[in-house]
Amino acid sequence: MPGVGEGVKQLQAAYGNSITEMPSIHGMPRLKIKIDDVPVIAHYLHTHPNLRGALSLLWAVDHRPREAGYELCYLFTLAAHKDWLLLCTDLPGDTRLFRSITPHIHAAKWYEREIRDMFGLIPVGHPDMRRLVRHEHWPKGAHPLKKDFPWDRVLERTQGEYVFRQIEGEGVFEVPVGPIHAGIIEPGHFRFSVAGEPIMQLEVHHFWKHRGVEKLFEREKLTEAVPVAERVSGDTTVGHSLAYCQAVETLMQMNVPRRARYLRSLFLELERLHNHLGDVGAICNDTAYTLAHAHCSRMKEQLMQLNDRLTGSRFLRGTMTIGGVSKDVSAIQRGEVVDLVDRIEQDFSELESIIFANASLTDRLEATGVLTERTAWDHGVVGVVGRASGLDQDVRRDHPFAAYDELPVKVVRYRYGDVRARMRVRMDEIHESIRLIREIGHKIPQGPIVAATHHMPQPSEWALSAVEGWRGEILYVVMAGENGQIHRCKVRDPSFVNWPAIQWAVVGNIVPDFPLINKSFNLSYAGNDL
Amino acid sequence: MFRILKKSLKTGVVTGRHPEVAQPGESVTSEAHEKAKPFRQSLTIREVDTGSCNACEMEMNALTNPVYDVERFGIHIAASPRHADALVVTGPVTVNMERALKDVHKQTPDPKLVIALGDCAINCGVFKGSYAVTGPVDRHIPVDVRIPGCPPRPSEILQALEKLREEEKGF
Repeated sequence: MPGVGEGVKQLQAAYGNSITEMPSIHGMPRLKIKIDDVPVIAHYLHTHPNLRGALSLLWAVDHRPREAGYELCYLFTLAAHKDWLLLCTDLPGDTRLFRSITPHIHAAKWYEREIRDMFGLIPVGHPDMRRLVRHEHWPKGAHPLKKDFPWDRVLERTQGEYVFRQIEGEGVFEVPVGPIHAGIIEPGHFRFSVAGEPIMQLEVHHFWKHRGVEKLFEREKLTEAVPVAERVSGDTTVGHSLAYCQAVETLMQMNVPRRARYLRSLFLELERLHNHLGDVGAICNDTAYTLAHAHCSRMKEQLMQLNDRLTGSRFLRGTMTIGGVSKDVSAIQRGEVVDLVDRIEQDFSELESIIFANASLTDRLEATGVLTERTAWDHGVVGVVGRASGLDQDVRRDHPFAAYDELPVKVVRYRYGDVRARMRVRMDEIHESIRLIREIGHKIPQGPIVAATHHMPQPSEWALSAVEGWRGEILYVVMAGENGQIHRCKVRDPSFVNWPAIQWAVVGNIVPDFPLINKSFNLSYAGNDL
Repeated sequence: MFRILKKSLKTGVVTGRHPEVAQPGESVTSEAHEKAKPFRQSLTIREVDTGSCNACEMEMNALTNPVYDVERFGIHIAASPRHADALVVTGPVTVNMERALKDVHKQTPDPKLVIALGDCAINCGVFKGSYAVTGPVDRHIPVDVRIPGCPPRPSEILQALEKLREEEKGF
């Protein structure tokens, strides 16, 4: 399969008239496209057997006050070598309409609705024009990411009702669940249409927790927004803060010292480890197998206490800083880490053999909540969920960051896409993370842990960064503004792309299996709602 | 079966194996202490997330793990506010969750306690002032106990709950 260079040539050969090549951004090719030709070109890029571009991110920028107008950017990942290719298009002046690509590319569905809500730009031809982020009680015309919308505006309440998709027929019922659920979990609303026990349709109605994170970023200076990034999704503190730091470092042309890059990988793997352990336990718990849950949460607790001893935070908060890390790990502490993960590996292996010997557990997990590879690819599913459905992707291997260029990662992959496959991916990744932590313990070099710079990016310069958090690919786009302010920060938690996919995974399953399927996805509500 | 028993024996009892709280938190006010009197023997909690980053949820969940095992103190987590004696609220109250929070508060039978857990619930934390946030919690419902931290450690939550329910001195 051709690389991204040939891909660009192929696109230019096919649609030369509507494409202008722009200077590449940090090695990523960028094409400027006439606004009306976006759907055709996106469709070609998505479906051509040579290219098979998957939409990874779609975001908008309001360029005011520097210039009047909006810009839309479509980030595609090409199947071969996982290269990125960026398509951009301008909406000059008062233009508020753009043509939707959703009829061709499922993955754009939520992005375009999000852009409509946040910027007031209208995706013409989008099959679902209901509000997404703005709930119906928000006043008309409130589009928070427009530059003329004050960050602290108090929203008045208006009347309005969200209309769910309905299935009608004899014996068809709707089951509403949420926003407040039975367990200690985050709020979200699920609407099932059922005929008897099997689910005919699920509609996810989220964004209850929308806190205006992207707007809050725009108030901060580039160098001071790490605490906000840490609180986008608390369980992914390291993943989000690392992704943010990397984007800013690219903008400020910083070279992170080698030791700091190793420490970043160490913290990221520790985060992956305790979350995966918690998930394996929680999946077992949702089949009423509390023994495995008790053992897993005990091990998870050991790791969180270790985090606390290492950094003073059980969630590793305050470890990432622009240019490196703010907490060093001494040789003695390193020994403690390796010692603990060794013990946990032994402990967990014993538990695995107990789990796999349990036939009734396997019966609940197998063939439950199947997400096929095709559906997963169509929706651009990432991370653990994608790998359990056979998608071969991992940012640590495809776009190495931190120390992963020196620490090759074995990408775990299962094909069946059921709950069991998602649990197996996590179990195997637990072993892989432990192996990586051990390797980091051996290989970590001496040296400084933070770099300095005086370079300040020009306004409207921007950078993209990707991190494989424990859920999957986290993307940040940071654009600089005047005097080191942030002009725009696009945050994409893996949950945002995986939530729509869960609606397909549950079809045909019975309602009592939904909590189990949901747990096997274990998506963040906070990271999704922003 | 043998494998499971062996594993349990090898693991032993882990309850209570956690570091002590370094600095004792602010003590519970005497009004809250008085209000908690009916719940000294048994306290049932309903947790409500009104926009937290989910770290507080993880720490609440950790309370039920074998290390903290909150049930041994007679503290239970309920699945419905109708069963609850106390609401634990986390997160700055978002515009979209405001109604739901008030509903839950109304649904919880009196007498009841409201515990604001974490900095966001107490003062909105980093989300303070945002267009999408209408909090903090005490703007919408009366709060009896505040447990600060971002997020508070499980041992700190445990300590605050213990303080709330301890017998008055001299009894």
